[in-house]
Amino acid sequence: MTAGGRTLEGCCAGGMNSRHKSRPRSPRHALSTVTAVALLGLTTAGCGEQGTGTRDEGNGNPTTSTGAKVLWLGDSIAGAEAPALGAALKASGVEFENSSSDGGGTIVDSGEKITRMISAETWKQLRKDIESFRPTVIAYQVTTYDWGSPDQQRAAYEKAVDTAEDAGAKLVFVSPPPIKIDAFYRPHEAQMRTAPKAAAEVAGKSGGTAAFFDASQVWGTDASAAKAQRAADGIHNCQQGAAAFAKWFTDKLGEQENFTPASVDSWARESWTGDERYDKLGCAA
Amino acid sequence: MLSRLPSPAPAPAPGRTVPARRRVTRRSGVGRAHLAALDGLRGFAVAAVLLFHAGHLRGGFLGVDLFFVLSGYLITGLLLGEAMGRGRIALAVFWSRRARRLLPALVCVVVVTGAATWAWGSTAQLRFALDDMPWVGAQAVNWHYIAEQVGYWNASDTRVFAHLWSIGVEWQFYLVWPLVVAVAARGRCGEPLVASLAGVGALVSLALTVSLGAAVDTTRAYEGTDTRGAALLLGALAATAPVCDLARRVPRRAADLVCLVLGCGLLAAWTVTEGETAPLLFRGGLFLHSLAAAVMIVLMARVPGTRAARIAGGRLPQRLGELSYSLYLWHWPVYLLLLPRLSGLGDRGATVVAIGVSLVAAAVTKRFVEDPVRFRAGWARGRRGVIATAAAALAGVVLWAAVPEPVPGAGTVDIGRLE
Repeated sequence: MTAGGRTLEGCCAGGMNSRHKSRPRSPRHALSTVTAVALLGLTTAGCGEQGTGTRDEGNGNPTTSTGAKVLWLGDSIAGAEAPALGAALKASGVEFENSSSDGGGTIVDSGEKITRMISAETWKQLRKDIESFRPTVIAYQVTTYDWGSPDQQRAAYEKAVDTAEDAGAKLVFVSPPPIKIDAFYRPHEAQMRTAPKAAAEVAGKSGGTAAFFDASQVWGTDASAAKAQRAADGIHNCQQGAAAFAKWFTDKLGEQENFTPASVDSWARESWTGDERYDKLGCAA
Repeated sequence: MLSRLPSPAPAPAPGRTVPARRRVTRRSGVGRAHLAALDGLRGFAVAAVLLFHAGHLRGGFLGVDLFFVLSGYLITGLLLGEAMGRGRIALAVFWSRRARRLLPALVCVVVVTGAATWAWGSTAQLRFALDDMPWVGAQAVNWHYIAEQVGYWNASDTRVFAHLWSIGVEWQFYLVWPLVVAVAARGRCGEPLVASLAGVGALVSLALTVSLGAAVDTTRAYEGTDTRGAALLLGALAATAPVCDLARRVPRRAADLVCLVLGCGLLAAWTVTEGETAPLLFRGGLFLHSLAAAVMIVLMARVPGTRAARIAGGRLPQRLGELSYSLYLWHWPVYLLLLPRLSGLGDRGATVVAIGVSLVAAAVTKRFVEDPVRFRAGWARGRRGVIATAAAALAGVVLWAAVPEPVPGAGTVDIGRLE
């Protein structure tokens, strides 16, 4: 944060001598930057932990729309999966909106001040997204902030099922990947373990409105194992992990929603791999 | 951050018989020894930051907070000195002095760093350097980093200008606070009113810090101008007559004792604080640190003959303090671009070399950029100085526009592993 740096761990790993592939700087980029500076005073108050709210990106190839529209919810881990997921779904003819939130995204109010604030913001944003995007599928990846008792977790997930049903959408719960438990997460480790179980239980009792996708099929259960594909921070994924997750999720959703997932050749190496968050995570460029 | 202090030997203000600094000195009784002490405090502060960023002092980031307090103190002292002496503050002259003091070195470092990052930085470092440069130029890069949630992503290692957030905070303070002082100091109760505004402002800032610091991402609380304004305003409060008069009545021995206790407290905080995201920082910790620094500064500056001022004003910290602005500007890009290449020297060896390079770069910048501009010497005199600085800034703009934007992410996905 300050100048940041702490110990410089992971700094520039493998990158200091790399050759920069380049493209010309666009005038529009410059203009937008100047505009951003000019509007600084108007924009600073609200900046912080909002959802990214970005629409999908893909390779631009025309695809036949399936009519499906996926609203993607979760924390920054879901956010690191989103660029690939958007590309894969768009290539498969599915509309996608990423509403994950860096440093937020939970729908569970555990009673603690921080989750009360975050969950209130998530619910508010969800209502807006439903109104504006009209999703047919709401996909919620259980977040690292889904703290609270199993009863509190179940209550929040049941509310999500009801919300999806009211919106005419299906709900898909996705279990989170295994992550490195650091000092921040340690006090909540037990609660983080019960959250996916509560989500699976709620999905099982939803009468078909909700489904539960067990992402351990793609990530495994050990954060330190190669299969987990964690970035240097032990929490998020880099591009390869995002692509693996996107393929797995798209295949699963295709089975559920009756569409044929696009070949990975059509989306896996497209422009999403240059998403800024992978640079922030120190992923190889 | 650093410096932007009134220069130790300022040039006379045009059209005036008494240099501004001397007038302030007479008004407030700050002697040369006391200015040396404040320079020395800057030296301690920059040393703490350098060690922190090298991973050797986990609370050393608090040195930035000390810079803020010093800055608020010295700037407000100058403004009040002018307001009381002339009856009004020449704002344009003030801003011009700040720009002349701070911009040349900043432009120099940004241009050289941009070119060095293009040559030797990673793709991510170049990408973010190009993204950040306009914000650095607008003196608003702290808000850009808040929007980018730099703290949440722990992404400073990819940003060669990450440390310039504090420069942005200071510039924004310099734009607003002189206006406040200029208006508030007009009446007969000018100084008490300025003191009240500074005190109330610091408390409002504290409340904001507590509120915004209760988030997962603390970048907003850490780098916000409003939240860090507490340190600047506490420094400002310490520079007002009510506080200075109070400090002058403190016996020398008592002042030394208080400075000893507070100095030890600051050092302890620099040693034990667990990084910039430690929750206590945002629950009053930063405010307490600023308050302790402000009390120490005013005692050193206003109580004659203290041992504390003599120690702080020792030759080494004072010299370091004089270099502190350029040193602060240089150290972070030097660390990012150089340290990964020095792994063979071991952690401490690499740190020593990186600090040495930063010191040399800072000394060269002070000798050939800061001092000539400050003292209006040689090429920096009159219009030539303005033209030289503008040319350097133009070089920065050209560099920014000419450097090809990197396209990251190519080759990061192995499709074979997806099948």
